[in-house]
Amino acid sequence: MENKNPLSPHIQIYNWHVSSLVSISHRITGIINILAITLICLWISSLFLGETNYKYTSLFLNSFFGKFLIVGIIWSFSFQILSEVRHLIMDLGYGFELKTTKITGFLVIFGSFGLTVLIYLIGRNLI
Amino acid sequence: MVQINLPANSKVQKGEYYKDKTGSKNIRKVNVYRWDPSKNENPRIDTYEVDMDNCPSKVLDILNKIKNELDPSLAYRRSCAHGVCGSCAMNMNGKNGLACTKAHSELDGDINIYPLPHLKVLKDLIGDLSTLYKQYESVEPWLKTSKKNMDSENLQSVKDRAKLDGLYECIMCACCSTSCPSYWWNGDKYLGPAVLLQAYRWIIDSRDEERKERLKKVADELKLYRCHTILNCTNACPKDLNPAKAIAEIKKMLATT
Repeated sequence: MENKNPLSPHIQIYNWHVSSLVSISHRITGIINILAITLICLWISSLFLGETNYKYTSLFLNSFFGKFLIVGIIWSFSFQILSEVRHLIMDLGYGFELKTTKITGFLVIFGSFGLTVLIYLIGRNLI
Repeated sequence: MVQINLPANSKVQKGEYYKDKTGSKNIRKVNVYRWDPSKNENPRIDTYEVDMDNCPSKVLDILNKIKNELDPSLAYRRSCAHGVCGSCAMNMNGKNGLACTKAHSELDGDINIYPLPHLKVLKDLIGDLSTLYKQYESVEPWLKTSKKNMDSENLQSVKDRAKLDGLYECIMCACCSTSCPSYWWNGDKYLGPAVLLQAYRWIIDSRDEERKERLKKVADELKLYRCHTILNCTNACPKDLNPAKAIAEIKKMLATT
């Protein structure tokens, strides 16, 4: 017999913690990265088709939206890398104390933005 | 599977408003999840104005006050009122905990009280934990030893005994398991933090002789590895235990043996 009792509210009412936020972002950035790598592969493949293709792509990437996309992908990769390091440390059994998880969580969040800026500056030959 | 929205019969509606009749100046609004199985209605949120001048310090005291003075139809589990039995586990202002150990002064603003998340509601704040209990049974939470007719105690060293600290204190209140998104989406297959912590408690016990079999039993893509270290469990545990670490230790044992 099907249970007709209602289901108690879950994600609608549950508070977000730093750790849960980092965890879900880790998953989302992972999917974004797979798509991004596929796009980068397609972009490089398109070079084989001739100069015009390259020009179109380069025009797109230099547009505002293109730049936004690039910076977004850099952030997504930065987040994934830092979060992955956090996960690796946790897999070794360290960093499970509540305070530590909070600190490392914040490190991942703010670090991802810092790393994005750093990579952008290096990419632009500004440092 | 991941089902973000509540099913149609679980959508929460606005309920009744119980105005304060004492004339107290120190009033706090308490919103409580209600569902009556005898009526064919959706769950609702009833709001009670509670006179805080004449209310002891814990959230459970508020519920007792509501039940005694405002609305005797309110149903919730409670027993020891000292954080030992684990009966009054519920969701208070978006976080799971024991109502009897949670001081209402720690909660900001209006107080929102819900049953433990993602359970079938039996009535009001009482959720159905039978799945969790079945899973608990599946890890066979008892000592397995070949020693028979022992005429002395089954001793363990102080060091081995210390390994059980932070595990044996678990009261199975289900605050952790019902805070876990993985358990929400895969609660029928994933064992959840509470049961895995219990599993680890027997795996790590030096007197238990079936460590290998126990490890083999939980080493399953769904039973164990649905833990993605979201850490809601450790955040929720009212006894300050660390289920996430216990699960990580099981994973580590499996990876290294």
